[in-house]
Amino acid sequence: MPEIVLSEFAGLSLPDWIDALIRIVFIVALMTVNALALIYLERKILARFQQRVGPTRTGPFGMLQSAADALKLLTKEDVRPTSADRWVFELAPYFAFVPVFLVFIPIPWTETWIVRDLELGFLYVFGVLGLNLVGVVMAGWGSDNKYALLGAVRAAAQAISYELPMLLVSVGVILIVAARLTVDGGSAFGAVNLNVIALEQTTTPFILLQPLGFAIFMIGALAELHRPPFDMPIAESEVVGGYFVEYSGIRWSFFFLAEYTALLLLVVIGSTVFLGGWNFPFGEDVGLGLQVLLTIAKTSAVIFILFWSRAVLPRLRIDQLMAFSWKVLLPFSIVQVLANAIILAYGGGEWIIGITSLALLLLLIGLVYGRARTLSRGAGRSLNKQPARPRLITAHDPAGGD
Amino acid sequence: MSATEIVFYCIAFFMIASGLGVVLARNIVHSALALILALGAVAGVYVILTVEFLALTQLVVYGAAVIMLVLFALMLTRARERPQALFGKNRPIAFVIAAGLLTAFIAGIVASEWATTNPDDIEPLPFQEIGDVLFSAWAVPFEVISVVLVIAMAGAILLSQPDQGEQ
Repeated sequence: MPEIVLSEFAGLSLPDWIDALIRIVFIVALMTVNALALIYLERKILARFQQRVGPTRTGPFGMLQSAADALKLLTKEDVRPTSADRWVFELAPYFAFVPVFLVFIPIPWTETWIVRDLELGFLYVFGVLGLNLVGVVMAGWGSDNKYALLGAVRAAAQAISYELPMLLVSVGVILIVAARLTVDGGSAFGAVNLNVIALEQTTTPFILLQPLGFAIFMIGALAELHRPPFDMPIAESEVVGGYFVEYSGIRWSFFFLAEYTALLLLVVIGSTVFLGGWNFPFGEDVGLGLQVLLTIAKTSAVIFILFWSRAVLPRLRIDQLMAFSWKVLLPFSIVQVLANAIILAYGGGEWIIGITSLALLLLLIGLVYGRARTLSRGAGRSLNKQPARPRLITAHDPAGGD
Repeated sequence: MSATEIVFYCIAFFMIASGLGVVLARNIVHSALALILALGAVAGVYVILTVEFLALTQLVVYGAAVIMLVLFALMLTRARERPQALFGKNRPIAFVIAAGLLTAFIAGIVASEWATTNPDDIEPLPFQEIGDVLFSAWAVPFEVISVVLVIAMAGAILLSQPDQGEQ
Protein backbone atom coordinates (compact mmCIF):
# COMPACT_ATOMS: atom_id res chain seq x y z
CA MET A 1 0.00 0.00 0.00
CA PRO A 2 2.70 2.62 0.75
CA GLU A 3 3.87 2.63 -2.88
CA ILE A 4 1.04 4.90 -3.85
CA VAL A 5 2.44 7.80 -1.89
CA LEU A 6 6.14 7.20 -2.43
CA SER A 7 6.49 10.41 -4.36
CA GLU A 8 4.81 12.45 -1.63
CA PHE A 9 6.22 10.89 1.50
CA ALA A 10 9.72 9.62 0.87
CA GLY A 11 10.69 12.85 -0.80
CA LEU A 12 11.23 11.03 -4.08
CA SER A 13 10.49 13.10 -7.13
CA LEU A 14 9.16 10.58 -9.59
CA PRO A 15 8.18 11.64 -13.09
CA ASP A 16 4.42 12.01 -13.49
CA TRP A 17 4.01 9.02 -15.75
CA ILE A 18 5.82 6.64 -13.39
CA ASP A 19 3.72 7.97 -10.54
CA ALA A 20 0.55 7.39 -12.57
CA LEU A 21 1.75 3.91 -13.55
CA ILE A 22 2.39 2.96 -9.92
CA ARG A 23 -1.07 4.12 -8.95
CA ILE A 24 -2.68 2.15 -11.78
CA VAL A 25 -0.76 -1.02 -10.91
CA PHE A 26 -1.76 -0.60 -7.29
CA ILE A 27 -5.45 -0.26 -8.23
CA VAL A 28 -5.38 -3.29 -10.52
CA ALA A 29 -3.78 -5.37 -7.78
CA LEU A 30 -6.28 -4.14 -5.22
CA MET A 31 -9.19 -4.96 -7.54
CA THR A 32 -8.06 -8.52 -8.15
CA VAL A 33 -7.22 -9.28 -4.54
CA ASN A 34 -10.47 -7.68 -3.41
CA ALA A 35 -12.60 -9.76 -5.76
CA LEU A 36 -10.85 -13.01 -4.79
CA ALA A 37 -11.08 -12.24 -1.08
CA LEU A 38 -14.71 -11.12 -1.20
CA ILE A 39 -15.83 -14.20 -3.13
CA TYR A 40 -14.08 -16.46 -0.61
CA LEU A 41 -15.48 -14.55 2.38
CA GLU A 42 -18.97 -14.48 0.92
CA ARG A 43 -18.95 -18.23 0.41
CA LYS A 44 -17.64 -18.80 3.93
CA ILE A 45 -20.07 -16.40 5.58
CA LEU A 46 -23.08 -17.68 3.63
CA ALA A 47 -22.06 -21.23 4.46
CA ARG A 48 -21.97 -20.39 8.17
CA PHE A 49 -25.45 -18.87 7.96
CA GLN A 50 -26.70 -22.08 6.36
CA GLN A 51 -24.87 -24.38 8.84
CA ARG A 52 -22.35 -25.56 6.28
CA VAL A 53 -18.59 -25.09 6.32
CA GLY A 54 -18.05 -23.71 2.83
CA PRO A 55 -14.84 -24.28 0.86
CA THR A 56 -12.26 -26.22 2.90
CA ARG A 57 -10.16 -28.29 0.52
CA THR A 58 -8.03 -25.80 -1.39
CA GLY A 59 -5.30 -24.33 0.77
CA PRO A 60 -5.61 -23.56 4.49
CA PHE A 61 -9.33 -23.15 5.34
CA GLY A 62 -10.06 -23.29 1.62
CA MET A 63 -8.52 -19.87 1.16
CA LEU A 64 -7.12 -20.67 -2.27
CA GLN A 65 -10.53 -21.68 -3.62
CA SER A 66 -11.08 -18.31 -5.33
CA ALA A 67 -7.62 -18.39 -6.89
CA ALA A 68 -8.26 -21.90 -8.21
CA ASP A 69 -11.62 -20.78 -9.61
CA ALA A 70 -9.98 -17.79 -11.27
CA LEU A 71 -7.39 -20.04 -12.92
CA LYS A 72 -10.13 -22.35 -14.11
CA LEU A 73 -12.05 -19.42 -15.59
CA LEU A 74 -8.99 -18.09 -17.39
CA THR A 75 -8.36 -21.40 -19.10
CA LYS A 76 -11.99 -22.04 -20.02
CA GLU A 77 -13.15 -21.86 -23.62
CA ASP A 78 -14.55 -18.49 -24.65
CA VAL A 79 -17.89 -19.40 -26.20
CA ARG A 80 -19.91 -17.04 -28.37
CA PRO A 81 -23.40 -17.92 -29.60
CA THR A 82 -23.51 -17.94 -33.41
CA SER A 83 -26.54 -15.64 -33.49
CA ALA A 84 -24.96 -13.12 -31.09
CA ASP A 85 -24.09 -9.65 -32.29
CA ARG A 86 -20.33 -10.16 -32.44
CA TRP A 87 -18.88 -6.79 -31.47
CA VAL A 88 -21.54 -5.85 -28.96
CA PHE A 89 -21.24 -9.26 -27.31
CA GLU A 90 -17.46 -9.25 -27.11
CA LEU A 91 -17.02 -5.64 -26.01
CA ALA A 92 -19.76 -5.69 -23.36
CA PRO A 93 -17.59 -7.07 -20.50
CA TYR A 94 -15.08 -4.26 -20.97
CA PHE A 95 -17.79 -1.60 -21.03
CA ALA A 96 -19.06 -3.06 -17.77
CA PHE A 97 -15.60 -3.17 -16.26
CA VAL A 98 -13.80 0.04 -17.28
CA PRO A 99 -16.21 2.52 -15.58
CA VAL A 100 -15.88 0.61 -12.31
CA PHE A 101 -12.11 0.80 -12.63
CA LEU A 102 -12.27 4.57 -13.20
CA VAL A 103 -14.29 5.11 -10.02
CA PHE A 104 -11.19 4.35 -7.92
CA ILE A 105 -9.73 7.76 -8.74
CA PRO A 106 -11.39 10.03 -6.12
CA ILE A 107 -11.72 7.51 -3.27
CA PRO A 108 -9.99 8.76 -0.09
CA TRP A 109 -8.41 5.73 1.59
CA THR A 110 -6.80 8.04 4.10
CA GLU A 111 -6.51 11.81 4.34
CA THR A 112 -3.73 11.84 1.75
CA TRP A 113 -3.91 8.47 -0.01
CA ILE A 114 -6.05 9.34 -2.97
CA VAL A 115 -5.27 8.56 -6.57
CA ARG A 116 -6.37 12.06 -7.53
CA ASP A 117 -8.25 14.45 -5.26
CA LEU A 118 -11.15 15.46 -7.52
CA GLU A 119 -13.09 18.57 -6.58
CA LEU A 120 -16.31 17.04 -7.94
CA GLY A 121 -15.45 13.59 -6.64
CA PHE A 122 -18.91 12.53 -5.54
CA LEU A 123 -20.56 13.58 -8.79
CA TYR A 124 -17.76 11.90 -10.70
CA VAL A 125 -18.37 8.62 -8.91
CA PHE A 126 -22.00 8.48 -9.90
CA GLY A 127 -21.45 9.88 -13.38
CA VAL A 128 -18.90 7.21 -14.20
CA LEU A 129 -20.39 4.29 -12.30
CA GLY A 130 -23.69 4.77 -14.15
CA LEU A 131 -21.89 4.04 -17.42
CA ASN A 132 -21.31 0.43 -16.46
CA LEU A 133 -25.01 -0.12 -17.17
CA VAL A 134 -24.13 0.32 -20.84
CA GLY A 135 -22.01 -2.81 -20.63
CA VAL A 136 -24.80 -4.71 -18.92
CA VAL A 137 -27.35 -3.69 -21.53
CA MET A 138 -24.91 -4.45 -24.36
CA ALA A 139 -24.38 -7.92 -22.90
CA GLY A 140 -28.09 -8.55 -22.59
CA TRP A 141 -28.89 -7.39 -26.07
CA GLY A 142 -25.83 -8.74 -27.83
CA SER A 143 -26.32 -12.27 -26.53
CA ASP A 144 -29.51 -12.64 -28.58
CA ASN A 145 -31.14 -14.50 -25.73
CA LYS A 146 -34.51 -13.63 -24.25
CA TYR A 147 -33.41 -14.31 -20.69
CA ALA A 148 -30.30 -12.21 -21.09
CA LEU A 149 -32.34 -9.34 -22.55
CA LEU A 150 -34.88 -9.55 -19.73
CA GLY A 151 -32.08 -9.56 -17.19
CA ALA A 152 -30.44 -6.53 -18.78
CA VAL A 153 -33.69 -4.59 -18.94
CA ARG A 154 -34.34 -5.39 -15.30
CA ALA A 155 -30.80 -4.35 -14.36
CA ALA A 156 -31.15 -1.03 -16.15
CA ALA A 157 -34.60 -0.29 -14.75
CA GLN A 158 -33.48 -1.16 -11.26
CA ALA A 159 -30.25 0.82 -11.40
CA ILE A 160 -31.95 3.95 -12.78
CA SER A 161 -34.68 3.73 -10.14
CA TYR A 162 -32.40 3.24 -7.16
CA GLU A 163 -29.77 5.74 -8.25
CA LEU A 164 -32.25 8.58 -7.68
CA PRO A 165 -32.90 8.05 -3.94
CA MET A 166 -29.20 7.32 -3.41
CA LEU A 167 -28.18 10.58 -5.02
CA LEU A 168 -30.89 12.54 -3.24
CA VAL A 169 -29.94 11.38 0.25
CA SER A 170 -26.33 12.16 -0.56
CA VAL A 171 -27.45 15.64 -1.56
CA GLY A 172 -28.79 15.86 1.99
CA VAL A 173 -25.27 15.26 3.32
CA ILE A 174 -23.74 17.66 0.79
CA LEU A 175 -26.18 20.35 1.96
CA ILE A 176 -24.88 19.98 5.52
CA VAL A 177 -21.27 20.13 4.33
CA ALA A 178 -21.99 23.18 2.18
CA ALA A 179 -23.74 24.90 5.09
CA ARG A 180 -20.71 24.30 7.31
CA LEU A 181 -18.29 25.52 4.65
CA THR A 182 -20.25 28.73 4.07
CA VAL A 183 -20.85 29.47 7.74
CA ASP A 184 -18.28 32.27 7.88
CA GLY A 185 -19.19 33.61 4.50
CA GLY A 186 -16.81 31.09 2.92
CA SER A 187 -17.41 29.41 -0.41
CA ALA A 188 -19.22 26.10 -0.77
CA PHE A 189 -16.53 24.99 -3.20
CA GLY A 190 -15.47 21.47 -2.31
CA ALA A 191 -18.71 20.29 -0.74
CA VAL A 192 -18.87 17.57 -3.41
CA ASN A 193 -15.30 16.48 -2.75
CA LEU A 194 -15.28 13.09 -1.03
CA ASN A 195 -12.25 13.98 1.05
CA VAL A 196 -13.84 17.23 2.25
CA ILE A 197 -16.98 15.31 3.16
CA ALA A 198 -14.82 12.93 5.21
CA LEU A 199 -12.92 15.84 6.79
CA GLU A 200 -16.21 17.33 8.02
CA GLN A 201 -16.84 14.20 10.08
CA THR A 202 -13.89 14.40 12.44
CA THR A 203 -16.22 14.75 15.41
CA THR A 204 -19.56 13.31 14.32
CA PRO A 205 -20.05 10.86 11.46
CA PHE A 206 -22.98 11.87 9.29
CA ILE A 207 -24.83 8.66 10.08
CA LEU A 208 -25.86 10.37 13.35
CA LEU A 209 -27.23 13.37 11.45
CA GLN A 210 -28.68 11.38 8.56
CA PRO A 211 -29.63 7.87 9.69
CA LEU A 212 -32.36 7.76 7.05
CA GLY A 213 -29.79 8.80 4.45
CA PHE A 214 -27.48 5.94 5.38
CA ALA A 215 -30.30 3.40 5.30
CA ILE A 216 -31.53 4.53 1.88
CA PHE A 217 -27.98 4.70 0.54
CA MET A 218 -27.28 1.12 1.56
CA ILE A 219 -30.59 -0.17 0.19
CA GLY A 220 -29.81 1.62 -3.06
CA ALA A 221 -26.32 0.13 -3.09
CA LEU A 222 -27.77 -3.37 -2.70
CA ALA A 223 -30.05 -2.73 -5.66
CA GLU A 224 -27.32 -1.16 -7.80
CA LEU A 225 -25.11 -4.18 -7.19
CA HIS A 226 -27.89 -6.67 -8.01
CA ARG A 227 -27.36 -8.36 -4.69
CA PRO A 228 -30.08 -10.29 -2.90
CA PRO A 229 -32.76 -9.39 -1.90
CA PHE A 230 -32.64 -7.18 -5.00
CA ASP A 231 -31.02 -9.64 -7.40
CA MET A 232 -33.83 -9.63 -9.95
CA PRO A 233 -31.51 -9.07 -12.97
CA ILE A 234 -29.57 -12.26 -12.27
CA ALA A 235 -32.28 -14.26 -10.51
CA GLU A 236 -31.49 -17.88 -11.31
CA SER A 237 -35.02 -19.12 -10.91
CA GLU A 238 -36.52 -16.56 -13.31
CA VAL A 239 -33.98 -15.41 -15.87
CA VAL A 240 -31.37 -18.18 -15.38
CA GLY A 241 -28.43 -15.94 -14.62
CA GLY A 242 -29.57 -12.80 -16.39
CA TYR A 243 -27.50 -10.71 -18.72
CA PHE A 244 -24.35 -12.86 -18.56
CA VAL A 245 -26.10 -16.17 -19.17
CA GLU A 246 -24.34 -16.63 -22.53
CA TYR A 247 -20.88 -15.70 -21.29
CA SER A 248 -18.15 -18.07 -20.21
CA GLY A 249 -14.51 -18.05 -19.26
CA ILE A 250 -12.65 -14.77 -19.08
CA ARG A 251 -15.51 -12.55 -20.27
CA TRP A 252 -17.78 -13.93 -17.58
CA SER A 253 -15.09 -13.34 -14.97
CA PHE A 254 -14.86 -9.72 -16.11
CA PHE A 255 -18.50 -9.24 -15.13
CA PHE A 256 -17.81 -10.76 -11.74
CA LEU A 257 -14.69 -8.69 -11.24
CA ALA A 258 -16.72 -5.57 -12.05
CA GLU A 259 -19.47 -6.61 -9.68
CA TYR A 260 -17.28 -7.26 -6.67
CA THR A 261 -15.22 -4.15 -7.33
CA ALA A 262 -18.39 -2.09 -7.50
CA LEU A 263 -19.44 -3.66 -4.20
CA LEU A 264 -16.20 -2.51 -2.57
CA LEU A 265 -16.43 0.94 -4.13
CA LEU A 266 -20.03 1.67 -3.22
CA VAL A 267 -19.43 0.52 0.34
CA VAL A 268 -16.26 2.61 0.65
CA ILE A 269 -18.15 5.63 -0.68
CA GLY A 270 -21.04 4.94 1.67
CA SER A 271 -18.71 4.69 4.64
CA THR A 272 -16.86 7.83 3.55
CA VAL A 273 -20.03 9.85 3.22
CA PHE A 274 -21.93 8.50 6.23
CA LEU A 275 -19.51 6.73 8.58
CA GLY A 276 -16.66 9.22 8.50
CA GLY A 277 -14.32 7.31 6.20
CA TRP A 278 -10.81 7.38 7.61
CA ASN A 279 -11.77 9.34 10.74
CA PHE A 280 -11.63 7.79 14.15
CA PRO A 281 -15.11 8.31 15.64
CA PHE A 282 -15.62 11.40 17.78
CA GLY A 283 -12.56 13.39 17.00
CA GLU A 284 -9.69 11.15 18.05
CA ASP A 285 -6.69 11.95 15.88
CA VAL A 286 -4.83 8.88 14.64
CA GLY A 287 -1.88 8.53 12.33
CA LEU A 288 -2.02 7.71 8.66
CA GLY A 289 -1.36 4.03 9.24
CA LEU A 290 -4.41 3.72 11.45
CA GLN A 291 -6.56 5.75 9.07
CA VAL A 292 -6.31 3.09 6.41
CA LEU A 293 -7.16 0.43 9.00
CA LEU A 294 -10.23 2.46 9.96
CA THR A 295 -11.34 2.67 6.35
CA ILE A 296 -10.91 -1.08 5.99
CA ALA A 297 -12.70 -1.79 9.28
CA LYS A 298 -15.73 0.35 8.43
CA THR A 299 -15.89 -1.04 4.91
CA SER A 300 -15.66 -4.65 6.06
CA ALA A 301 -18.34 -4.12 8.68
CA VAL A 302 -20.75 -2.79 6.07
CA ILE A 303 -19.84 -5.52 3.58
CA PHE A 304 -20.54 -8.10 6.28
CA ILE A 305 -24.00 -6.58 6.79
CA LEU A 306 -24.62 -6.82 3.04
CA PHE A 307 -23.62 -10.52 3.04
CA TRP A 308 -25.80 -11.02 6.10
CA SER A 309 -28.82 -9.50 4.40
CA ARG A 310 -28.22 -11.82 1.45
CA ALA A 311 -28.37 -14.81 3.77
CA VAL A 312 -31.49 -13.88 5.72
CA LEU A 313 -33.79 -11.76 3.51
CA PRO A 314 -36.24 -13.22 0.99
CA ARG A 315 -36.11 -11.94 -2.56
CA LEU A 316 -38.58 -9.32 -3.77
CA ARG A 317 -40.64 -9.49 -6.94
CA ILE A 318 -39.61 -7.15 -9.76
CA ASP A 319 -42.78 -5.01 -9.54
CA GLN A 320 -42.46 -4.77 -5.74
CA LEU A 321 -38.87 -3.74 -6.25
CA MET A 322 -39.71 -0.88 -8.58
CA ALA A 323 -42.66 0.22 -6.44
CA PHE A 324 -40.44 0.26 -3.36
CA SER A 325 -38.02 2.65 -5.01
CA TRP A 326 -40.50 5.03 -6.62
CA LYS A 327 -43.28 5.02 -4.05
CA VAL A 328 -41.36 4.65 -0.80
CA LEU A 329 -37.67 5.52 -1.03
CA LEU A 330 -37.97 8.43 -3.46
CA PRO A 331 -40.61 10.38 -1.46
CA PHE A 332 -38.66 9.78 1.74
CA SER A 333 -35.41 11.01 0.25
CA ILE A 334 -37.10 14.10 -1.24
CA VAL A 335 -38.61 14.90 2.16
CA GLN A 336 -35.19 14.41 3.72
CA VAL A 337 -33.52 16.85 1.33
CA LEU A 338 -36.28 19.43 1.74
CA ALA A 339 -36.18 19.08 5.53
CA ASN A 340 -32.42 19.57 5.57
CA ALA A 341 -32.65 22.59 3.28
CA ILE A 342 -35.40 24.25 5.33
CA ILE A 343 -33.73 23.59 8.69
CA LEU A 344 -30.36 24.85 7.42
CA ALA A 345 -31.88 27.88 5.68
CA TYR A 346 -33.60 28.99 8.88
CA GLY A 347 -30.47 28.39 10.94
CA GLY A 348 -31.73 25.41 12.91
CA GLY A 349 -29.10 23.40 14.76
CA GLU A 350 -27.74 20.24 13.25
CA TRP A 351 -29.25 18.17 16.04
CA ILE A 352 -32.69 19.11 14.63
CA ILE A 353 -31.62 17.56 11.31
CA GLY A 354 -30.55 14.42 13.14
CA ILE A 355 -33.85 14.12 14.98
CA THR A 356 -35.90 14.76 11.82
CA SER A 357 -33.94 12.15 9.95
CA LEU A 358 -34.29 9.62 12.77
CA ALA A 359 -38.05 10.24 12.90
CA LEU A 360 -38.29 9.73 9.15
CA LEU A 361 -36.28 6.53 9.42
CA LEU A 362 -38.58 5.19 12.13
CA LEU A 363 -41.58 6.10 9.97
CA LEU A 364 -40.03 4.24 7.03
CA ILE A 365 -39.32 1.17 9.14
CA GLY A 366 -42.84 1.30 10.53
CA LEU A 367 -44.36 1.53 7.05
CA VAL A 368 -42.32 -1.37 5.71
CA TYR A 369 -43.00 -3.49 8.77
CA GLY A 370 -46.74 -2.77 8.66
CA ARG A 371 -46.91 -3.58 4.97
CA ALA A 372 -45.00 -6.82 5.49
CA ARG A 373 -47.38 -7.76 8.30
CA THR A 374 -50.45 -7.17 6.15
CA LEU A 375 -48.93 -9.09 3.26
CA SER A 376 -47.92 -12.07 5.36
CA ARG A 377 -51.34 -12.18 7.05
CA GLY A 378 -53.04 -12.19 3.66
CA ALA A 379 -50.60 -14.75 2.26
CA GLY A 380 -52.38 -17.80 3.63
CA ARG A 381 -55.74 -16.77 2.27
CA SER A 382 -54.60 -15.68 -1.17
CA LEU A 383 -52.81 -18.93 -1.94
CA ASN A 384 -55.82 -20.27 -3.82
CA LYS A 385 -56.21 -17.15 -5.89
CA GLN A 386 -54.72 -16.61 -9.32
CA PRO A 387 -51.31 -14.94 -9.12
CA ALA A 388 -51.56 -11.24 -9.89
CA ARG A 389 -50.82 -10.51 -13.51
CA PRO A 390 -48.22 -7.79 -14.16
CA ARG A 391 -50.16 -4.61 -14.82
CA LEU A 392 -47.89 -3.15 -17.48
CA ILE A 393 -48.34 -5.99 -19.91
CA THR A 394 -52.10 -6.35 -19.85
CA ALA A 395 -53.84 -4.07 -22.31
CA HIS A 396 -57.26 -4.53 -20.72
CA ASP A 397 -56.91 -4.96 -17.01
CA PRO A 398 -60.34 -5.70 -15.58
CA ALA A 399 -59.16 -4.97 -12.04
CA GLY A 400 -57.17 -1.88 -12.89
CA GLY A 401 -59.84 0.63 -13.96
CA ASP A 402 -59.60 3.74 -11.84
CA MET B 1 1.46 21.06 -30.54
CA SER B 2 0.71 21.08 -26.83
CA ALA B 3 -0.58 18.10 -24.89
CA THR B 4 -4.01 19.71 -24.64
CA GLU B 5 -4.20 20.03 -28.40
CA ILE B 6 -3.20 16.42 -28.95
CA VAL B 7 -5.89 15.31 -26.52
CA PHE B 8 -8.40 17.59 -28.19
CA TYR B 9 -7.70 16.22 -31.66
CA CYS B 10 -7.95 12.66 -30.38
CA ILE B 11 -11.32 13.43 -28.80
CA ALA B 12 -12.49 15.28 -31.90
CA PHE B 13 -11.53 12.38 -34.15
CA PHE B 14 -13.32 10.00 -31.81
CA MET B 15 -16.39 12.23 -31.72
CA ILE B 16 -16.63 12.54 -35.50
CA ALA B 17 -16.03 8.83 -36.01
CA SER B 18 -18.72 7.82 -33.55
CA GLY B 19 -21.04 10.52 -34.93
CA LEU B 20 -20.66 8.98 -38.37
CA GLY B 21 -21.29 5.64 -36.74
CA VAL B 22 -24.60 6.93 -35.37
CA VAL B 23 -25.74 7.97 -38.84
CA LEU B 24 -24.29 5.20 -40.93
CA ALA B 25 -24.78 2.08 -38.79
CA ARG B 26 -27.27 -0.29 -40.39
CA ASN B 27 -28.45 -1.54 -37.01
CA ILE B 28 -30.25 1.02 -34.91
CA VAL B 29 -28.94 -0.37 -31.61
CA HIS B 30 -25.41 0.09 -32.94
CA SER B 31 -26.37 3.69 -33.70
CA ALA B 32 -27.50 4.18 -30.11
CA LEU B 33 -24.28 2.65 -28.77
CA ALA B 34 -22.22 4.91 -31.03
CA LEU B 35 -24.24 7.84 -29.71
CA ILE B 36 -22.99 7.02 -26.21
CA LEU B 37 -19.41 7.30 -27.44
CA ALA B 38 -20.19 10.58 -29.22
CA LEU B 39 -21.80 12.08 -26.12
CA GLY B 40 -18.91 10.83 -23.99
CA ALA B 41 -16.51 12.60 -26.36
CA VAL B 42 -18.52 15.80 -25.92
CA ALA B 43 -18.01 15.38 -22.17
CA GLY B 44 -14.30 15.12 -22.91
CA VAL B 45 -14.41 18.45 -24.75
CA TYR B 46 -16.11 19.99 -21.72
CA VAL B 47 -13.25 18.74 -19.55
CA ILE B 48 -10.74 20.41 -21.89
CA LEU B 49 -12.77 23.62 -21.57
CA THR B 50 -12.38 23.22 -17.76
CA VAL B 51 -16.11 22.86 -17.06
CA GLU B 52 -15.91 19.50 -15.30
CA PHE B 53 -19.34 19.99 -13.80
CA LEU B 54 -20.92 20.16 -17.24
CA ALA B 55 -18.92 17.12 -18.34
CA LEU B 56 -20.15 15.04 -15.42
CA THR B 57 -23.72 16.23 -15.90
CA GLN B 58 -23.41 15.18 -19.52
CA LEU B 59 -22.32 11.71 -18.42
CA VAL B 60 -25.03 11.37 -15.77
CA VAL B 61 -27.89 12.68 -17.89
CA TYR B 62 -27.02 11.52 -21.40
CA GLY B 63 -24.56 8.69 -20.85
CA ALA B 64 -26.49 6.88 -18.20
CA ALA B 65 -30.13 7.97 -18.28
CA VAL B 66 -31.21 9.17 -21.73
CA ILE B 67 -29.30 6.60 -23.76
CA MET B 68 -30.49 3.89 -21.44
CA LEU B 69 -34.09 4.83 -22.18
CA VAL B 70 -33.35 4.90 -25.92
CA LEU B 71 -31.85 1.42 -25.69
CA PHE B 72 -34.84 0.30 -23.65
CA ALA B 73 -37.23 1.41 -26.33
CA LEU B 74 -35.15 -0.16 -29.10
CA MET B 75 -34.69 -3.48 -27.35
CA LEU B 76 -38.27 -3.93 -26.32
CA THR B 77 -39.70 -3.10 -29.74
CA ARG B 78 -38.18 -5.49 -32.25
CA ALA B 79 -36.38 -2.59 -33.92
CA ARG B 80 -33.55 -4.98 -34.72
CA GLU B 81 -35.59 -6.94 -37.21
CA ARG B 82 -36.27 -3.96 -39.44
CA PRO B 83 -32.91 -2.24 -39.96
CA GLN B 84 -33.67 -0.96 -43.45
CA ALA B 85 -36.29 1.44 -42.05
CA LEU B 86 -33.42 3.85 -41.40
CA PHE B 87 -32.82 4.47 -45.09
CA GLY B 88 -35.90 5.88 -46.73
CA LYS B 89 -36.34 7.62 -50.06
CA ASN B 90 -35.94 11.01 -48.37
CA ARG B 91 -32.25 10.39 -48.02
CA PRO B 92 -31.10 12.94 -50.66
CA ILE B 93 -33.20 15.68 -49.06
CA ALA B 94 -31.83 14.79 -45.63
CA PHE B 95 -28.32 14.90 -47.05
CA VAL B 96 -28.87 18.40 -48.52
CA ILE B 97 -30.32 19.72 -45.27
CA ALA B 98 -27.55 18.18 -43.19
CA ALA B 99 -24.86 19.54 -45.51
CA GLY B 100 -26.47 22.99 -45.36
CA LEU B 101 -26.57 22.92 -41.57
CA LEU B 102 -22.95 21.79 -41.40
CA THR B 103 -21.86 24.63 -43.70
CA ALA B 104 -23.86 27.13 -41.65
CA PHE B 105 -22.31 25.92 -38.39
CA ILE B 106 -18.76 25.97 -39.75
CA ALA B 107 -19.33 29.43 -41.24
CA GLY B 108 -20.74 30.63 -37.92
CA ILE B 109 -17.80 29.23 -35.94
CA VAL B 110 -15.24 30.72 -38.33
CA ALA B 111 -16.95 34.12 -38.46
CA SER B 112 -17.45 34.47 -34.69
CA GLU B 113 -15.18 36.63 -32.57
CA TRP B 114 -13.94 34.29 -29.85
CA ALA B 115 -12.59 35.72 -26.59
CA THR B 116 -9.54 33.53 -26.95
CA THR B 117 -8.33 30.72 -29.15
CA ASN B 118 -5.41 29.83 -26.91
CA PRO B 119 -6.25 26.89 -24.62
CA ASP B 120 -3.92 28.25 -21.92
CA ASP B 121 -6.09 31.38 -21.53
CA ILE B 122 -9.18 29.43 -20.46
CA GLU B 123 -10.07 30.28 -16.88
CA PRO B 124 -11.49 27.40 -14.85
CA LEU B 125 -15.10 28.14 -13.97
CA PRO B 126 -15.99 27.17 -10.39
CA PHE B 127 -19.08 25.00 -10.57
CA GLN B 128 -20.88 26.89 -7.82
CA GLU B 129 -21.08 29.90 -10.15
CA ILE B 130 -23.16 27.77 -12.49
CA GLY B 131 -25.45 27.05 -9.57
CA ASP B 132 -25.59 30.70 -8.55
CA VAL B 133 -26.66 31.99 -11.97
CA LEU B 134 -28.94 28.99 -12.54
CA PHE B 135 -30.98 29.89 -9.46
CA SER B 136 -30.82 33.69 -9.84
CA ALA B 137 -30.42 35.11 -13.34
CA TRP B 138 -31.72 32.04 -15.15
CA ALA B 139 -34.29 30.91 -12.60
CA VAL B 140 -37.25 31.49 -14.95
CA PRO B 141 -35.89 29.44 -17.89
CA PHE B 142 -34.91 26.76 -15.38
CA GLU B 143 -38.47 26.60 -14.08
CA VAL B 144 -39.89 26.63 -17.62
CA ILE B 145 -37.75 23.61 -18.47
CA SER B 146 -39.09 21.76 -15.46
CA VAL B 147 -42.66 22.57 -16.56
CA VAL B 148 -41.86 21.20 -20.01
CA LEU B 149 -40.51 18.04 -18.43
CA VAL B 150 -43.62 17.62 -16.29
CA ILE B 151 -45.81 18.03 -19.38
CA ALA B 152 -43.73 15.46 -21.24
CA MET B 153 -44.05 13.08 -18.33
CA ALA B 154 -47.81 13.54 -18.10
CA GLY B 155 -48.07 12.96 -21.84
CA ALA B 156 -46.02 9.78 -21.61
CA ILE B 157 -48.22 8.46 -18.83
CA LEU B 158 -51.36 9.32 -20.80
CA LEU B 159 -50.06 7.63 -23.96
CA SER B 160 -48.90 4.49 -22.20
CA GLN B 161 -52.12 4.00 -20.27
CA PRO B 162 -54.20 1.04 -21.35
CA ASP B 163 -57.54 1.90 -22.95
CA GLN B 164 -59.99 2.64 -20.20
CA GLY B 165 -62.89 1.15 -22.16
CA GLU B 166 -66.40 2.28 -21.31
CA GLN B 167 -66.63 3.69 -17.84
